[in-house]
Amino acid sequence: MRWVIGALGIAISAWGAYLLLPLIDVNLALWFIGGPVVHDVLLAPLFGGLGLLISRWVPEPWRAPVQVGGVLTGVLVLLAVPLLWRPFAGPANPGLNDRDHLVGLLVAVVVSWLGVLTANLIGRALRRRHPRV
Amino acid sequence: MKVFRLPVVRLPVVKVSRESSPHTATRIGLWLGIAFGLCFVTGLLSHYIQHPPGWFAWPTRPVGLYRITQGVHVTSGVAAIPLLLAKLWTVYPKLFERPLVKSVPHALERGSILVLLGASFFELVTGLFNATQNYPWQFFFPPAHYAVAWIAVGALLVHIAVKLPLMRTPAEEVRRGTLSRRGFLLTTGGAAAVAVLATAGGTVPWLRSVSVLGTRSAELPVNRTATAAGVSTVDSDWRLTVGARQFSRAELEALPQTTAELPIACVEGWSASARWTGVPVRDLLALAGVEPGDVRVESLERDGLYRAGTLPAAHARDPLTLLALKVDGETLPLDHGYPCRLIAPSRPGVTQTKWVTRLDVIR
Repeated sequence: MRWVIGALGIAISAWGAYLLLPLIDVNLALWFIGGPVVHDVLLAPLFGGLGLLISRWVPEPWRAPVQVGGVLTGVLVLLAVPLLWRPFAGPANPGLNDRDHLVGLLVAVVVSWLGVLTANLIGRALRRRHPRV
Repeated sequence: MKVFRLPVVRLPVVKVSRESSPHTATRIGLWLGIAFGLCFVTGLLSHYIQHPPGWFAWPTRPVGLYRITQGVHVTSGVAAIPLLLAKLWTVYPKLFERPLVKSVPHALERGSILVLLGASFFELVTGLFNATQNYPWQFFFPPAHYAVAWIAVGALLVHIAVKLPLMRTPAEEVRRGTLSRRGFLLTTGGAAAVAVLATAGGTVPWLRSVSVLGTRSAELPVNRTATAAGVSTVDSDWRLTVGARQFSRAELEALPQTTAELPIACVEGWSASARWTGVPVRDLLALAGVEPGDVRVESLERDGLYRAGTLPAAHARDPLTLLALKVDGETLPLDHGYPCRLIAPSRPGVTQTKWVTRLDVIR
């Protein structure tokens, strides 16, 4: 079974590579390899470092909610990049990509933090009432 | 056998080792696999609708079918972003495993993971940028996104084949720490949910005010303005040519009209429904005395990839495929395709040709 899945995977990848062949140039190659490199060298150490700072500097009952809030903030910021950084965008279209996305991002971040802190407080209150042994 | 550890990894190692056992990685991998699977299948459908091979047929009902499949495509892609990052977080320490290569199979496995990650990031990043119509690269997006999708799915299957035995690993004992295994999984699921909520309003009407990172701000957006398409005011000697017959706008208005609620569903993932009024394409073909078949639709647009397109026979025969003269009861605005535009059920927005000037049955 594993061999069948593996062989199928290789065949499908090879088909993709064949389709990609006429399109390959330096720019495309950089975009292909850029993801893993940016993640391994920049994003993951950044997240790890921030996690470390949180575990060093944030007192215990707040550590988990601050980490979760940080994760949600990070994801929202990443999703907002193509909306906020637009030197390569085409002509403006009425009704598309024309909101104030910076304000939107800030609102989303504030709401997620409030949500996480509320969930944490509720969780703590419940645990105090029904302590697990 | 410990050879060396990078300082950045050593410090959070308490946390990493807790989250990095196979059970957590395979659990998130399963979610990610589902997201990628949905993305791949719906993306393939969208590709085939726009470049139909002979064996392919796309139904005209439900009228919002393409709206759903493309909404799923973009939404599952967005959800896959936090899932991929969480998945990589669980296995990040493996990047620093030494020796770098233990054997030929091990080298092949690491190589296949590099291909999988390159292709996955490529698809998610280019897809996200394309959804916001932002193009910081030099290649043409659709064929590159399509080809790399096959590479990603193939490499994913290879990865599954290699890792299949780990699926049966029991849940690991969790050391108490900042985030438990359950907490990590919940956070990952929560991050995916937040990502979806923040963007899905482009296609899910009741989420529009919630989705602050959604691309659509208006009830019915315009994706290509008349100015961008090089179409200026259309004068009274405009005629619609259908086969050998010609119709003025007044003649089209005098024909029996059909009104239908149909969505514009963009390949970029947003969609918007409107009430369109106009003449069914099949009525026009009948008046021109041509048998319905695949119909070539031409626009007044001077250039552009979507200046002309082919309406498949099934859609040309459908009573709800209209050459619309009005939208929501008003005369079609120039930006929405005045004097008349094509609007067919269950089709990608780019194929709903605006400023139509000519219909020809080609086969």
